[in-house]
Amino acid sequence: MLSFALAFIATVLHIALCFMGAPLLMGLVNKLRAWLLGRRGPPVLQPYRHLAKLLRKSTLVPDTATELFAFWPLGAFLALAVATMLIPGFATGMLTAPAGDYVTIVGLFALARAAAMLGGLETGFSFGGAGAAREALFGIFAEGALLVLLLAFALLAQSTSLDGIATAFRTAHIGISVSLGFALAAMLTVALTETGRIPTDNPSGHLELAMVHEAMGLEYSGRLLALLEFAGMLRLLAWMNLIGTIFLPFGMARVAEIFSWPGGLALWVGKLLVMAVALSVFEVSRAKMRVFRVPEFLGAALLLGMLASVFLFVAARIGA
Amino acid sequence: MRVVGNSIGLMFGLPGQGMHLHLDALSLLFGCILLPQVVAASVAGMRASVAFWAFVLGMALALLAADGFTLIFGFELMSAASWLLVMQGDRKPATLYAGVAIFSGACLIPALFLPASSLAFVLVALGAGAKAGLAPLHSWLPRAHPAPPAGVSALMSGGMVKVALYVLIRYAFINLAPAQQPWWGEALVAAGALSVLIGALRAVLEVELKTALACSTVEHVGLITVGLGLALYAKAIGDAELSGVALQAALLCAVAHGLFKPLLFIGAGEVKHATGTTSLNWLGGLMRGMPRLGALMLLGAAGMAALPLGPGFAPEFLLFHAVIGAAATGGILARIGFSALLAVLGIGAALALAAAVRVIGLGFLGRPRSLHAAAAEDLRRGPFVAMALLGALAIPVALVPGLLLDLLNPVIMLLAPEAQTPPLAYAPVTLLILAGLAALAAGFVQTRWGVRGLREVPAWNGGFGRPPAWLPFGDPHTQASATGFAEPVMRVMGKGLLGAGMTDPAERFLLTPLFRVQTRLIRLAERVRRATIRERLAFVFAVLVAFLLALGLGQGG
Repeated sequence: MLSFALAFIATVLHIALCFMGAPLLMGLVNKLRAWLLGRRGPPVLQPYRHLAKLLRKSTLVPDTATELFAFWPLGAFLALAVATMLIPGFATGMLTAPAGDYVTIVGLFALARAAAMLGGLETGFSFGGAGAAREALFGIFAEGALLVLLLAFALLAQSTSLDGIATAFRTAHIGISVSLGFALAAMLTVALTETGRIPTDNPSGHLELAMVHEAMGLEYSGRLLALLEFAGMLRLLAWMNLIGTIFLPFGMARVAEIFSWPGGLALWVGKLLVMAVALSVFEVSRAKMRVFRVPEFLGAALLLGMLASVFLFVAARIGA
Repeated sequence: MRVVGNSIGLMFGLPGQGMHLHLDALSLLFGCILLPQVVAASVAGMRASVAFWAFVLGMALALLAADGFTLIFGFELMSAASWLLVMQGDRKPATLYAGVAIFSGACLIPALFLPASSLAFVLVALGAGAKAGLAPLHSWLPRAHPAPPAGVSALMSGGMVKVALYVLIRYAFINLAPAQQPWWGEALVAAGALSVLIGALRAVLEVELKTALACSTVEHVGLITVGLGLALYAKAIGDAELSGVALQAALLCAVAHGLFKPLLFIGAGEVKHATGTTSLNWLGGLMRGMPRLGALMLLGAAGMAALPLGPGFAPEFLLFHAVIGAAATGGILARIGFSALLAVLGIGAALALAAAVRVIGLGFLGRPRSLHAAAAEDLRRGPFVAMALLGALAIPVALVPGLLLDLLNPVIMLLAPEAQTPPLAYAPVTLLILAGLAALAAGFVQTRWGVRGLREVPAWNGGFGRPPAWLPFGDPHTQASATGFAEPVMRVMGKGLLGAGMTDPAERFLLTPLFRVQTRLIRLAERVRRATIRERLAFVFAVLVAFLLALGLGQGG
């Protein structure tokens, strides 16, 4: 009973922190990027103000849109919200852990992508359609790479749930293996594409022709735009949590031991900070690549993901 | 009619033997897959067609057959009746369809009477695989399935390929089990992976709605076959858990596909009825005029794309787990092969997503691309009832796949007696509850801090002006077309896999050479027909001399 109560509290805490903190993370990344570029940058709390402003604005619906216009941002938000709830953050063993299979998470990301693409096609104007077509192309390689990566994790951790992978990687002495290095490179490539960061897409770009993620939301305004933007923030946090859970599971708290929570929380915040800094540094040091170079970029991720498992097979064969 | 053992004998059929019917868990499962489709297709307007009922009778006989003769009789009746139905729709693919049906019959008939051996398996796999549209023998399917009326297309895609797969399952797992080899499974997995890749890729590229759906059927047949192949491989090497999970994946995929694909095909037929075309380049904005059809098609498309909370996700989930299980053990080459299979399945799933988004996004959302699409009226009563029935049955598959898997257990025990089935780790109801909580939170934030109401305005469209009055929906060319939406995929993957002409590799490497051989034979026959009397006499004389020479040499030596 006590353990259930603890798990419940931890789950609620995780969900509340993720939902409250997602805009903060986005504000932090924006601020860091601006600093690195030598500008002062917007305040860290700017995303909250932005969301509040959008909620108060009136919501416009294009006259060419169908009844489902309002449904797609909600669908994208709900899929990413559920994914955020399922991916462990500061602790393992939460109530949502049994449902948090890696394949389910990949499916939820795909669901969010489908809803965003349909939202782009909804009004029937060219920018949305072009953005959706490009997103479809990126999704093909991203999803292939993500699923291939699962094989390496499942072989190392003997589990396909994120909670199981985190627990196994935290306790077992896997050390620094070549496979995990390849897997990390592949995962980061997919993460950059899926969250729409440089080098595949520019989150602060204002040229419609070069947009991918932004182009699909061009016709949205008011509270629907707020929902889409918040979904984008959740997506960034979910991906950072995913990478943190798999590759940096050290110091994650155990839900049943309440005294490990403060340390876990502090380390979680620290890991997010480190990843935010790394993302900003990477983004300012790279240029955006052409749209048709992105499949090559993601194809490399796919190959790295396969190499990660092939190295494991070879290691198992020679008994290393 | 008399009962012999656990089968029922009928008074007609082969002289002295009759026909024997038998119902076990496997035929019951496939009968249950078939039944809703038959009801839906008949409600959707095929009730009055004799050929349709002959088609249904053939499928039922093939499923219930207890002896080889009855199976072949039912199978061929199914082929012949469906050929008639294809010919009613379009004469062009009917010849190819008949050719494939004859090929599959020619492979199956000897196979059913051979003793259990690898040769028998190869013949069954070729015969049933050709009928199911398994690569590389799939190129007839995207041509023939869209041809007949929608109800028959639905039953061909959802039911007929399942009957072919049923024959494959019955022979590979039960009748030929004494001779089983691991390579049988590997061969099926390879053919299935090829089908997934080509089917899903072509589903993204095809402009005709029904052809795209038929290509998606090739993909799903591939998924089922990958599951069956893995189960066969696991059974041969004695991996109990893998064979259980792989069979669960294959059978659940068959169940789900048997619901959402007929739904989509009947919907495509209604699109054709309402607008006069199924070309995505002439549709658009149908959700406005046909909201009920749009909602049902959305459900079907969610299944086709294997999205979570849709009917297609649980089988895909199980299949990924089966492949991971297969890659965990075995020889190094097989393991590398299975990791490549995982990549192919992942790419296939994302391609299926793109195809489903394209069908919904271009056909049902956006602006109408023609006046017909703008003036479309909603579903007629019959097709609506049919689609609603299939949609209602798809909901339990989507939300409680765990219960359904329990029902599949007797079939799995029949096919692989030692198989173990672990509980499903995918819980759609939990996801639904979490999504409901998130929706409540979003609703609360909106009512507490937001303003209500929606205002309809002209679209911003990057700042372009309004279209002129004589173009009520704007210029159709300014929105993404079906070809344009697929262009990035075509450029990156299509050119490499299909070539610049977008022809199926099976057509280029299989049908075209066959066609060339046929042309040569026809020329030869024509040459013989045109021979003069002197040439004919000379030929007869030469043959006679050669025969006598051979006889003499044979006796002399």
